[in-house]
Amino acid sequence: MIRMQPLRRFGELRLLVLVALLLVTGFVAVVATELASFAPVQPVVPLLFIALAVALHLFLVTIGFRGDQLLLPLMLALTAIGLIEVERLASNLLLQQLSWCVVAAGVFVVAILVPRDLSVLARYKYTWALLGIALLLSPLLPGLGREINGARIWIGVGFAQFQPSEAVKVLLVIFFASYLDEYREVLTMKRLGPLPLPPVPYLLPIILMWGMAMVVMVFEKDLGATLIFFGIFLAMLYLATGQTSYTLLGALLLFGGAYLAYRSFGHVAVRVDTWLEPFAGDTRFSSGYQLVQGLFALGNAGLLGAGLGGGLPERIPVVWSDFVFDAFTEETGFLGGAALLALYLVLVFRGMIIALRAPTTFLQLLAGGLSFIIAFQTLVIVGGNARLIPLTGVTLPFIAYGGSSLVANFLIVALLLRVSDVTARVRGPA
Amino acid sequence: MEVTFAVLLWGVRIAFLVLLYLFLIRAFAALWRAMRVEEAVAAKPTGLAFLVVQKSHSGGPRSGARLPLRALTSIGRDAGNDVVVNDDAASSKHALVSFRDGEWWVEDAGSTNGTVVNGTRITAAERLHYGDEILIGRVAMRLEQ
Repeated sequence: MIRMQPLRRFGELRLLVLVALLLVTGFVAVVATELASFAPVQPVVPLLFIALAVALHLFLVTIGFRGDQLLLPLMLALTAIGLIEVERLASNLLLQQLSWCVVAAGVFVVAILVPRDLSVLARYKYTWALLGIALLLSPLLPGLGREINGARIWIGVGFAQFQPSEAVKVLLVIFFASYLDEYREVLTMKRLGPLPLPPVPYLLPIILMWGMAMVVMVFEKDLGATLIFFGIFLAMLYLATGQTSYTLLGALLLFGGAYLAYRSFGHVAVRVDTWLEPFAGDTRFSSGYQLVQGLFALGNAGLLGAGLGGGLPERIPVVWSDFVFDAFTEETGFLGGAALLALYLVLVFRGMIIALRAPTTFLQLLAGGLSFIIAFQTLVIVGGNARLIPLTGVTLPFIAYGGSSLVANFLIVALLLRVSDVTARVRGPA
Repeated sequence: MEVTFAVLLWGVRIAFLVLLYLFLIRAFAALWRAMRVEEAVAAKPTGLAFLVVQKSHSGGPRSGARLPLRALTSIGRDAGNDVVVNDDAASSKHALVSFRDGEWWVEDAGSTNGTVVNGTRITAAERLHYGDEILIGRVAMRLEQ
């Protein structure tokens, strides 16, 4: 990356002022409702976050960054809503979440500065693939892996824990982007009737990655990550080849595999049965309790909601990590919930435009895949919370409590910004 | 006193929603503007720079033609190239011109007769400046902004 003269980013700054106001207002609303349990640390957290936002903005200005001005405010607005919700739902975790914001911002800065040229990512594609596989399997190692709430998806060193599948998502997109960029002609060449018939050796690495995703489901019992991995795999295959038949075939494989999993694994069957009939018999007091409480929260929302701090979202178990969307919607109403989804829409749309504008195929696939992660993850968790699809353990990007997810999502936005920066430099001042 | 506090609290809660929508509208507006710019850019077929044909022959690109360059442009006899040089002395995949970190570079793509920059046949990737002349087969082109 070439250092250039500092460039004023007024568009970004204007939006960041709104983010700061939004955060302060939200905190005031939540804290005012529970004045009895007021702690002096509460007003400090939003101020520190605003300082962090300003620091990131000034950092981009000083290095003469030419990339997009919309992504950073969007990312920080969603993170700010996340802080408000953590304060509302689990205020004892607030400082921890703020520290994760600082760590994520650090990763963001490194990702903006370090790869001098993004094509480095493409050059070491097999390194990324191997690293991804190693990370994916690491929770299965005795001593390192930890099982929390029935899913063995964590690695822990001392008291710090990390969910490697979050990092694997990003590595998977980088690997697929570079691999498909190199071999996409081969993959679209031969056909057998309506089906494309690519030479098998070229498909092997892809199938290997897919097999790894299946391992996650069987041995680590992580439905959410499996769904995300498979979604990334299908979406990027479609982005690179434009073949609808691949996507259809993949969707068939997914439904077939899901049905087999439903029949053979107890933890999958429970999820599906709970989804189909959460109110049936004892389900609503046992496995369906969380979902039913979430549905009551949504039903309680109305147009304006109960007001931030005024609802009863704490009646949903583990609400701060699994059901933040329901909690937010209960207290801000249909208007708030719709606005939240619209924020994700703008973020993903912006990412897709960056992908369309990118100068090389690799960068296009990279930006497209990264935007897809955010879109698909939001769809899967909000759909799960609203009982549109079975509930899976996916985090609501930027908002749900959790460090690994926050760091990975900041990294995704940093990479999208890098792609838009390359585009802006190639095209010259627009 | 109680009533005033409740009213104030609801004021703050409504203010939060208003700010949320204000931010959303601003973000949508920015997105909209960016798409307008995008349409304008797409409407005029410009490249980052051009190869202007200096010397050609019958069947090749006409002299004076401005061939637009992208971030990565392939040149050769094959119709699949970004810039097609229809000349017997050109190879089907002849050369690659690329824009990296603000600089133009040209490299030979394994052609039979080689790529010549300013009169010298190149062996490795060669930095191009505006005004430099590339010879591919019998077609001479100059890099211009």
